[in-house]
Amino acid sequence: MTDLVVSPESPEPGEPPRQRKVLPGSGWGGRFVASPYLLLVPAAVALAGVSLYPLFYGVRASFTHYLYGRDFGTNGLTNYRNVWHDEFFRQAMVTTAKYVVCTVTIETLLGLGLALLVSREIRFSSPIRVGLILPMTIAPVVVGVMWRLIYDSGVGVTDPLWQLFGASPPDVLAHNTSAFIAVVVVDVWEWTPLIFLIVLAGLQSMPQEPLEAARVDGAGRVRLFMDHTLPMLMPVLLVAITLRTIDAIGTFDQIYVLTQGGPGTATRLISIYAYNTAFLFTQYGQAAAMLVMLLIMVMLLMIVAVRLMRRAAR
Amino acid sequence: MSARLPRIGLYLTIALILAVAFFPFWWMLDTSLKQPVDIFGGVTLYPHHPTTSNYSRLFDVYHFGAYLENSLIIVAVSVAFSLTIGTLAAYALARFQLRFGLNQSALVVALLVRMIPGILLVIPLYITLAKWGLLNTRLGLILIYTGLNTSFVIWMMQSFLAEIPRDIEEAAMVDGDSRLTALWRVVIPLAAPGLAATAIFCVITTYNDFLIALSLTSTTQAQTVPVGVSTLIGKIQIEYGPMAAAGVVGALPIVIFALVVQRHFVRGLTLGAVK
Repeated sequence: MTDLVVSPESPEPGEPPRQRKVLPGSGWGGRFVASPYLLLVPAAVALAGVSLYPLFYGVRASFTHYLYGRDFGTNGLTNYRNVWHDEFFRQAMVTTAKYVVCTVTIETLLGLGLALLVSREIRFSSPIRVGLILPMTIAPVVVGVMWRLIYDSGVGVTDPLWQLFGASPPDVLAHNTSAFIAVVVVDVWEWTPLIFLIVLAGLQSMPQEPLEAARVDGAGRVRLFMDHTLPMLMPVLLVAITLRTIDAIGTFDQIYVLTQGGPGTATRLISIYAYNTAFLFTQYGQAAAMLVMLLIMVMLLMIVAVRLMRRAAR
Repeated sequence: MSARLPRIGLYLTIALILAVAFFPFWWMLDTSLKQPVDIFGGVTLYPHHPTTSNYSRLFDVYHFGAYLENSLIIVAVSVAFSLTIGTLAAYALARFQLRFGLNQSALVVALLVRMIPGILLVIPLYITLAKWGLLNTRLGLILIYTGLNTSFVIWMMQSFLAEIPRDIEEAAMVDGDSRLTALWRVVIPLAAPGLAATAIFCVITTYNDFLIALSLTSTTQAQTVPVGVSTLIGKIQIEYGPMAAAGVVGALPIVIFALVVQRHFVRGLTLGAVK
């Protein structure tokens, strides 16, 4: 029974947790060793209930034959075969890939560029932060509504904008290319701030000495950025990009409000297609099979994300 | 090196960024206060004949009272549940050296659950709730949101609790407190700012969730505000005035909360990777 006294040299905050013996009668101590594990039980049940169980169940559903939403036993790989030969599934995957690449690339470059431009001006960082947090906070459904009000002909501002330049109004959401660009713009509006704020925080907390030293040595701005600024930003930036990619793959709400995947299939992301397959056509088995295939991809990304976060934390 | 770009250009850039960020909000608010004639009457940057009729229609015709009530109950109960069970788990992870590498692996699991896109969960959840007769009930949504939020609470609270020196609660335990009363009387008050930020985050994500609420509810008995907003769009003839008003009602509580936690915001969104 050592280590009983609360010594002045007790662990610093942030030191890794370490079991300590406690005075008799002052709690669990050695009397009831299982207690910390008991604290974990409710949370474990809750987590398993909304993740492990559904995922397990989803995998099972992907091998099940559903007709009009009713369970008719297993059908082996039929669902997967159907999905594999489904032209629309492939189309949705391609659209999703295009969407993710476009949005994440633009958001990263734009966020990085704007942050570099503004970082010197510390006076305005508070209003900027407030202004840029809002797009990410409000419900994506509301974001969709906002942009419907901007894009729709008759009520919006895009048509008059075109007329200002003498062009005929295109009715943005009714044409394939413009609708796709329109939903990308919405995503960029909503999520560029995240990259922007992360880079801004990184820049403003960055040690200035190495930069000064390099500058004295005659390094140009591009050199400084590539050799010093970017490497220091990289760990957090990579985390943000990975999290953003995972999120973008699952984009649903704004698309549902803006175009419902249309016109035709121009903005039909995999989430919209899977949702329709399940809830409009009650093909739960096929939808589950699609999602299992998607899950495998997302899992890989999530593992990457966890690794990157560990590294960034160091 | 930077003074070469004229100051004026810098200020214009900042102004432009803020204008682009704010304009859609202003436009929605503007539209929500316009008469129908003015909505279709070209671009006007403020309502020339302001009216609140869009808002009263929202509550009289489009059931927004019911949506708000559902959202309020579901958010309050599920966030309270998840804060309780999540903080208990986070405390165990922050203070005890557990076996089987649980300290690390439990955090990773919590993180993974948080990252899974909703679309991957919603179909099995639908089938499960259908089996238990919980479709289109507030209880069904409360259970699901509790589970989803718990992952976030564990992840955030573990890092907040680890920052609190353990001497303080050990002193309380020397004074006769049990582990749990020390947690309640001493640790929680110290962790209050982190707890509040975590709670507000949970409120925001729960209130904003659309996909799960859309898939698992079907009537005003359990539909939440975002689902209510979307019902105004599915119609052939969109009523833009009430739709804009609905957007404002949907955004307002969240905007207020967001301003409260703005300092912690990026930390929450990057799951703690950026402090």
